[in-house]
Amino acid sequence: MKRFIGDFHVHTLLSPCAEVEMTPNHIVLRAAQNGISILAITDHNASGNVLAALEAGRKYGVNVFPGMEVESLEEAHIVTIFNTWEQLAAWQKIVDDSRRDLPPNNAKKFGGQFVVDAYDNFVCEEKKMLLGACQLTAAEVISKSRYLGALVFAAHIDRPSYSLLGQLGFIGEELALDAVEISRCNVSELKTNKLRPLIGSLPYMTNSDGHNISDFIQGPKNLLEIKEPSVEEIRLALKGEKGRKFRPGYFISLNR
Amino acid sequence: MKVSEIVPRLRLVNVTHKGNLEVEIKGGYTSDLLSNVMGQAKAGMIWVTMQGHHNVVAVASLLELSAVIITGGTKIEEETIAKADENEVTVFSTTMSSYEVTGRLYALGIINQQ
Repeated sequence: MKRFIGDFHVHTLLSPCAEVEMTPNHIVLRAAQNGISILAITDHNASGNVLAALEAGRKYGVNVFPGMEVESLEEAHIVTIFNTWEQLAAWQKIVDDSRRDLPPNNAKKFGGQFVVDAYDNFVCEEKKMLLGACQLTAAEVISKSRYLGALVFAAHIDRPSYSLLGQLGFIGEELALDAVEISRCNVSELKTNKLRPLIGSLPYMTNSDGHNISDFIQGPKNLLEIKEPSVEEIRLALKGEKGRKFRPGYFISLNR
Repeated sequence: MKVSEIVPRLRLVNVTHKGNLEVEIKGGYTSDLLSNVMGQAKAGMIWVTMQGHHNVVAVASLLELSAVIITGGTKIEEETIAKADENEVTVFSTTMSSYEVTGRLYALGIINQQ
């Protein structure tokens, strides 16, 4: 088994709410410098910076996973992570087809949405509003993305907004999630298990949900013991099967 | 006022088959955040929401609400209807907005006792 430090929820400057310093090149470089060896790029309903991140990953030797944070019909944020760009591209098409026409993004109000290449060069500005719900229910987001091979988890379930738990009151077993994410504000939940009665036996994970470099580096990560970085191995680790391990609540700053 | 009495007045469509329409409505609650409803709604209330997810039925059943009105023409999951029948929960559908429905219920005298 090999050990990896994994962060499965990071935004680039394509997400309107993220800082422009969050270029794929910069994120991956900082990941490499800080020993973050598994990284998923997860912009809101979009994937325009993933190819650049994959290229940067090869450059700096970081295992980058193509991903997306999707907003379901119930206004719950669900993160989907794939092994390959082709799987994510197929998923992007399903998400795009399920989105209603929204007014164009107001960059002054919500922030700009920028696509860049792997060397920080500006490519284009995404004019469509990326925030907002698609017309797929949470159950559909989970089943359709899993069909394409995704690892799926409910984002920041402890937060008051855009949380699957908040929107639905409890998380039923029929939703085939791989995990639920506890946000950086509530890492104590890993010990107190206050939310347990509402989510059943789903494993916890902790990610930075970084929208700027400082939050990305300082935010919680996960320590994994797996054979190789893949969706299948991560799933085994979350289940604690076949000797794989997944330990949430890992902070780089505390472990140096 | 009983559940059966509001049906013609609001032109609600009953999508379920097993709920008791002769139960008395004791006030109401309007919210789409199920976690919030679980903490705030009380037994006998009628619940107005845009969520069509089947967890709505579980919450309504748990709190012993008198009925649920799903507004805005929201598509109601088949599983929601199946679970509602299983748990004898009444679920109505309407194209009216939550604002409109809540206002009309209030006008009919369905108000919360402080």
